Amino acid sequence: MESLFLQQTLNGLIIGSIYSLIAIGLTMIFGVMKISNFAHGDYSMVGAYTAVFVMAWIPGWIGWVGSVIAAAAVVGILGIVTERIIFRPLIDRWTDIDMIMVSIGLFILLENLAQLFFGATPRMISDPFKSATVNIGGISTSMLRVLCLIFSCFAIGVLQVFLNRSKLGVAIRATSQNRYAAQLMGIDINLIYILTFAVGAALAGVGGVLYGTIFAVHPLMGAMPTLKAFVVTILGGMGNLRGAIFGGFILGIAESLGGNYLSMEYQHAIGFCMIILVLLLRPTGLFGTKESR
Amino acid sequence: MRTSMTQRLAAGAGIVVLLILPQLVQERYFLHIAVMAGIYTILTLSWNLLAGYTGQLNLGHAAFFGIGAYTSALVAMKLGISSWFGLLAGGGLAAFFGFLLGFPSLRLSGPYLAITTIGFAEILRLVAINWVDLTRGSLGLSGIPLLSPIRLGSWTMKFYYERDYYYVVLAAVLLTYYCIRRFTHSEFGVSLQALRDDEQGAQSIGINTSRYKLTAFTLSAFFAGIAGALFAHFARLVSPDTMSLHVTFDTLTMTMIGGLGTIAGPILGAVALTFLSEWLRTLEDFLKMDIRLVLYGLLLILTILFMRGGLVGLFKGLAERFRSLQRSRNIGVDHD
Repeated sequence: MESLFLQQTLNGLIIGSIYSLIAIGLTMIFGVMKISNFAHGDYSMVGAYTAVFVMAWIPGWIGWVGSVIAAAAVVGILGIVTERIIFRPLIDRWTDIDMIMVSIGLFILLENLAQLFFGATPRMISDPFKSATVNIGGISTSMLRVLCLIFSCFAIGVLQVFLNRSKLGVAIRATSQNRYAAQLMGIDINLIYILTFAVGAALAGVGGVLYGTIFAVHPLMGAMPTLKAFVVTILGGMGNLRGAIFGGFILGIAESLGGNYLSMEYQHAIGFCMIILVLLLRPTGLFGTKESR
Repeated sequence: MRTSMTQRLAAGAGIVVLLILPQLVQERYFLHIAVMAGIYTILTLSWNLLAGYTGQLNLGHAAFFGIGAYTSALVAMKLGISSWFGLLAGGGLAAFFGFLLGFPSLRLSGPYLAITTIGFAEILRLVAINWVDLTRGSLGLSGIPLLSPIRLGSWTMKFYYERDYYYVVLAAVLLTYYCIRRFTHSEFGVSLQALRDDEQGAQSIGINTSRYKLTAFTLSAFFAGIAGALFAHFARLVSPDTMSLHVTFDTLTMTMIGGLGTIAGPILGAVALTFLSEWLRTLEDFLKMDIRLVLYGLLLILTILFMRGGLVGLFKGLAERFRSLQRSRNIGVDHD
């Protein structure tokens, strides 16, 4: 009984760490540019496909690490391209609705382009550990999942150091707090936009590799990470980085335990019920400060 | 806001053409597409009432469509009463859910409302998948009865033929058009648009924003439910996919391309894209690929970037340019 609980908590932590990773990118982009990007999960989809191709080319360990790096690079560039072509022209004359709609357009476009080029058949990212498992005090899980957990925690840590210690990272946070004040302090806002999109998309791409490692890779997989990332960002407060990190773990564990003890069928609904409660009771998110919606 | 004589004549002529269309083109395939275009038109008109007139981005519109479809199908299948009651029940239940969803929407906007409404639709889709006793799960309901025939003396209207169904859908489209036009042109509707442009300003001059928003939500959901019910008795198969995100995305793409916040835009968008996508389907054999949805995404992005008024805005702009060109030419003539 207790081991089942621990087992599910561990599963929740693993999935949750991936949710965090994807949601951090979304919340960064929202914080800095006030863009709600519904195509965010498709960055993950592209990342996952990058991994599928790299792994087919270089198998094993090195391939897996290589594919994570490749996914970050490819999706980072994709993020910059979409920012330049689609979001940037709208930023000065945006309304919430325009921004959301244009990102939905991007979502439809990327999803169907992927279907066109890669076909509808699901693919797998091959397991460099050949399905080896680890057993810690009665809880067992695959090596791969443990690697996913360690890796996403590592990526989150690196990002934290970047945002808190480096000059550019501080500039991103400053822009997120107040765009105009940041500009007055001599921050090149244009560069910050590009950088934010590159880093945010790259994180989603890396998250996509991990997500695709645990689930399957297919052209329509992007919808799920998009929705989960939005749930996480709303739980943590939109634009709040710390909130997104904790929100991801909370959602992962809630889904895992809820799926086990409440209802497997409605597992996917748990997140939505949580955000409806959060929005009604504490609209700035669980970790939110005073800020209007 | 007043309609001119020419506009009335044009509307009258349009209705006459729509009425005799099944006599002109008797091909069943064409009429099938026309019916689907009509159902989409009801969806876009009702979605536009919220997004275009009150500025509330409802991304859960598919839920109302699905509620209408399932309700109407189940009423006809389980209760065995005339399917016309099912049609009304479908619209009614959707309206009830719309009213409920209207409450959180009073406090939320932008991405928060978008995600809450998506969540609503996703939860209902899960219910449709998992309440197997009632909905038969992912298999969906099949063998939904046709609309009950109408008899007037010796003349009978059976809804087996696309032609007869076309008239039902046409009537529903006209009714939707009429109601939404009345609503948006009323004092109520003008306040609604004030609300979209400046909510605090609207509140400060004493417009009760909550009541308007709730009414708009309820009305929008009602018509989406009717569209779903009409779809159920036409396709005769309803699956949880009717509530999927893609139905909402199709609707919003059509509305945006036609022209958000206008009455003609959603109609134009729904009809144009339904026929375009059917045409692309015939092209598919030739191209060996399905580029339909790629095009949807591309058109949606291009519309927002370069043509914010949609097709309607484009036509208006062209007409304006034509008129000013004519005016300058007239001035030239005067000088001669």
